[in-house]
Amino acid sequence: MKIVVPVKQVAALDEEFELLDDGSGVDPDFLEWDLNEWDTFSMEAALQIRENADGDGHEVVVVTVGDEEAEEGLLSCLAKGADRALRIWDESLQGADVLAVAKVLAAAVERESPDLVLCGVQSSDAVYGATGVALAGYLDLPHVAVVKGLDYDAAQATATVERELEGGLVEVLRVEAPALLTIQTGINEPRYATLRAIKQAREKPLQVSDLADLGLEEDAVGQAAGSRAVALKPPEPGEGAEMLNGSPAAVAARIVEIVQERMSG
Amino acid sequence: MARDPKYDILFEPIQIGPKTLKNRFYQVPHCIGAGSEKPGMQAHHRGMKAEGGWGACCTEYCSIHPESDDTSRVSARIWDDGDVRNLAAMTDRLHQFGALAGIELWYGGPHAPCMESRATPRGPSQIASDFELNIFPRYMDKDDIEVVQQMYVDAAIRAREAGFDIVYVYGAHAYLPFQFLSPFYNRRTDEYGGSFENRARFWRESLYKVREAVGDDCAIASRFAVDHLLGPISIQVGEDGVRFVEYCDDLVDLWDLTVGDIAEWGQNAGPSRFFEENHEKPFTGQVKAGNHTNKPVVGVGRVTNPDTMVAIIKSGQFDIIGAARPSISDPFLPKKIEEGRPEDIRECIGCNQCISRWEIGGPPMVCTQNATAGEEYRRGWHPEKFHPAANREKSVLVIGAGPAGMECAMVLGKRQMSAVHLVEAEKEIGGCVNWISQLGHSDGKENLFRGSARGLGEWKRIVNYRQIQLDKLKNVEVHIGSRLSTEQVLEYGAEIVIVATGCHFATDGMNAATHAPIPGADASLDWQLTPDQVVSEAKRVGQRVVVLENEAYFMGVSVAQKLAGEGHDVTLLTQAAEIANYMDYTLEAPMLHRDLDRLGVHIHTYTMVDKIEPGLVHAYDVWNPAHQEQFEVDTVVLCTARISDDQLYRELKADKDRLESEGIEGLYVIGDASAPRMIVDSIFDGHRLAREIDSPHPEMPLPFIRERRLWGEVSNDDYVQQLRNTADVALA
Repeated sequence: MKIVVPVKQVAALDEEFELLDDGSGVDPDFLEWDLNEWDTFSMEAALQIRENADGDGHEVVVVTVGDEEAEEGLLSCLAKGADRALRIWDESLQGADVLAVAKVLAAAVERESPDLVLCGVQSSDAVYGATGVALAGYLDLPHVAVVKGLDYDAAQATATVERELEGGLVEVLRVEAPALLTIQTGINEPRYATLRAIKQAREKPLQVSDLADLGLEEDAVGQAAGSRAVALKPPEPGEGAEMLNGSPAAVAARIVEIVQERMSG
Repeated sequence: MARDPKYDILFEPIQIGPKTLKNRFYQVPHCIGAGSEKPGMQAHHRGMKAEGGWGACCTEYCSIHPESDDTSRVSARIWDDGDVRNLAAMTDRLHQFGALAGIELWYGGPHAPCMESRATPRGPSQIASDFELNIFPRYMDKDDIEVVQQMYVDAAIRAREAGFDIVYVYGAHAYLPFQFLSPFYNRRTDEYGGSFENRARFWRESLYKVREAVGDDCAIASRFAVDHLLGPISIQVGEDGVRFVEYCDDLVDLWDLTVGDIAEWGQNAGPSRFFEENHEKPFTGQVKAGNHTNKPVVGVGRVTNPDTMVAIIKSGQFDIIGAARPSISDPFLPKKIEEGRPEDIRECIGCNQCISRWEIGGPPMVCTQNATAGEEYRRGWHPEKFHPAANREKSVLVIGAGPAGMECAMVLGKRQMSAVHLVEAEKEIGGCVNWISQLGHSDGKENLFRGSARGLGEWKRIVNYRQIQLDKLKNVEVHIGSRLSTEQVLEYGAEIVIVATGCHFATDGMNAATHAPIPGADASLDWQLTPDQVVSEAKRVGQRVVVLENEAYFMGVSVAQKLAGEGHDVTLLTQAAEIANYMDYTLEAPMLHRDLDRLGVHIHTYTMVDKIEPGLVHAYDVWNPAHQEQFEVDTVVLCTARISDDQLYRELKADKDRLESEGIEGLYVIGDASAPRMIVDSIFDGHRLAREIDSPHPEMPLPFIRERRLWGEVSNDDYVQQLRNTADVALA
């Protein structure tokens, strides 16, 4: 059995940050890079399925589209227990959108012929929530999005999954492998890697490929893109906000005043 | 990052007589255990604050003559040229950083027992001290008054020579000038007693004489309790309080305002469990608000929040933010505001451990939040600077994120160890602080005096500060909800393993009084509880509760407060002369006793438990075990011994071959897992190990500098002569 887990190294903003002069993005000096939180849950789900499966020869492969900055995220997945990693990068992928990334991932995943592809629901920086679903589309795989519960029967090659609907209703679905699931946070408790595992992760296979290695042409990827970001801007400040400063007691006293003013008004 | 413009007002200079204070941050006089006899500690502790941005730092109370000798409590002294020399080390260091140096000239009257000098203190009337045991002053006739006033003048001249910029005539905390002012002490019938002007005469004359002597060169300050908090029998703010400020306003350049006295100075240095930030405002705030002074005013209130500081100045309460405890907890508080990183402020938790060491008499000051306080000179520790460890290529596993573990991991991170993993079994870091900080409440009602049982919530700042710092450290990973087995630790891959797994309460009544378990004690039963079980509310508590308080600190009484506040009938038993003895030292005891009394808690001292039966606690008088007493109970709380959770450490240590084969080069145990202790000492223990992780034997603390005379280093005859020469003034 093989599970492929596509992950993303995401950018987190410092508490205070500045935009680039041309408004095209955030000044990288104010960014910190980390593995996307949702992907820690999909990775954990994959590792648990592998650990619960009978016999040997099961494999969890982690794959990402990203520059060298993304290697840290792959190493953390390897440290936690992924068997090998694949990083795909090409300068032409700079600024690639969801569909372009999904197309690249599709080429890589297709070569792996996995039983399951487990994605995170979304990435915390771009928040499209579409990469996994688009990947399923390119691969022509059945997919279930926003999975909150997962039970994989390796012998039957069937996944029983749960989704949460309005009013807390739980929808239970059964899907036959190969399939793609997008995993929601909270489905499990992601493990952490010991110091030894972190050191040993560097010994595990980490392959770097470019588009040519995957048999893709730059143009084909470019044509897959559906949109391109043109500007990033801070929200317009609204009106009517009053900042309350001072000691907790002073702030509380002011809140009481405001409430009383509104109630009497 | 630049500071937030809303804090600009805190950085505006202000004139104090002939001196300019560069900003509004002022370390008021406070004790540290250095005095004039540990000049290195004195200079480097105050100097650290100057480096951290405080505009002025003062000595502790500084005795002007051997007649004012507070031994064994440590004051500064400026009795002779030797003291001038030693205190000049402090002023030099402050001046290097552009800070002003203040000295608090002190004559204690009957509050100073003179146990070293064997002198006789003088006082306005012959009434024994309400602070010291059985110390009577000699009545001061008019000659005595002149003699003592000359002591202030001589001391002020020496202070100027030592380089001090601000000279206090200290009258707060009910020391001599206040003893003249207050009818509680002053029963004179001459021109120094009776009317307000007569009672104020001694203080006013002393200020005048000191000002005449050094006022052109030094700013003259006075520390004054605007309200004695004793009602009409003494000074009240609305009466003689503001009147005195007006009366002496022409003679001072700075007012340093407080409340209360030394006998219950917890009303001034208010512990957080009873007093909130800026709690003296109702009293000290009246002076400027009522336009009673034209001079700058400084005051305190354990203020750590820069927004509160701004509000204090803008509202016209004070001109200058005074701080003692917040400056101990974070000597770099001003710099952190200036550099736009207020989240890095290590906020005082108001536990008053610092004060406890002065109250004990002798030991150097300690701080729960700042393990480097008092260690600046003797161990060379800086609160904000950390040397990269010589063995920083090593990776470290710290097991347990309580006070010791958090501190150790944080300091190791700051010392740039290649990788530090802090692994905690519970769902959040903080260890015992997480449940201890829920204690200290009773029923939420006002106490009988000022303040109320606010609880130990501010102790959670221990966790908050370290959480923020740990989050910032890229080389530290914190993992929660993970209880590691011995095998997992061995295989973890760390070269250095530090066990900080804390401790637990004995469930069988094992205790310090009898060195044995108590027959019938068993906290696995549903009607017997350890203190942590009381907080977790895992067991139902019956109506009649006996709390056995063997610890002598906050735990037993805090449990009693909580349960009595919830409506239980609580009886406290202790083998000691009083409950929670250490809370006398932290100044928490008076308010605690008021609360316990209000709640109807019954206290039996010198009482130890003999055995426990269902429904019945058998106790005895420790001086006469035949004197038995029985208490009918529904629930028993056993605040008895604590026992280290050191099984993991012991198992790891037992297999040296395995440690070696797994590449574990260092194995250490810290905090309560090493030996149960107070939080202040756990944090120190964790800090100490991290500071010395690259020493030859990190488990053994490196020696520290002891400031003492080295016998025979110079010829003993020369040394005696040297001492005599520097002491000439006092011997004359």
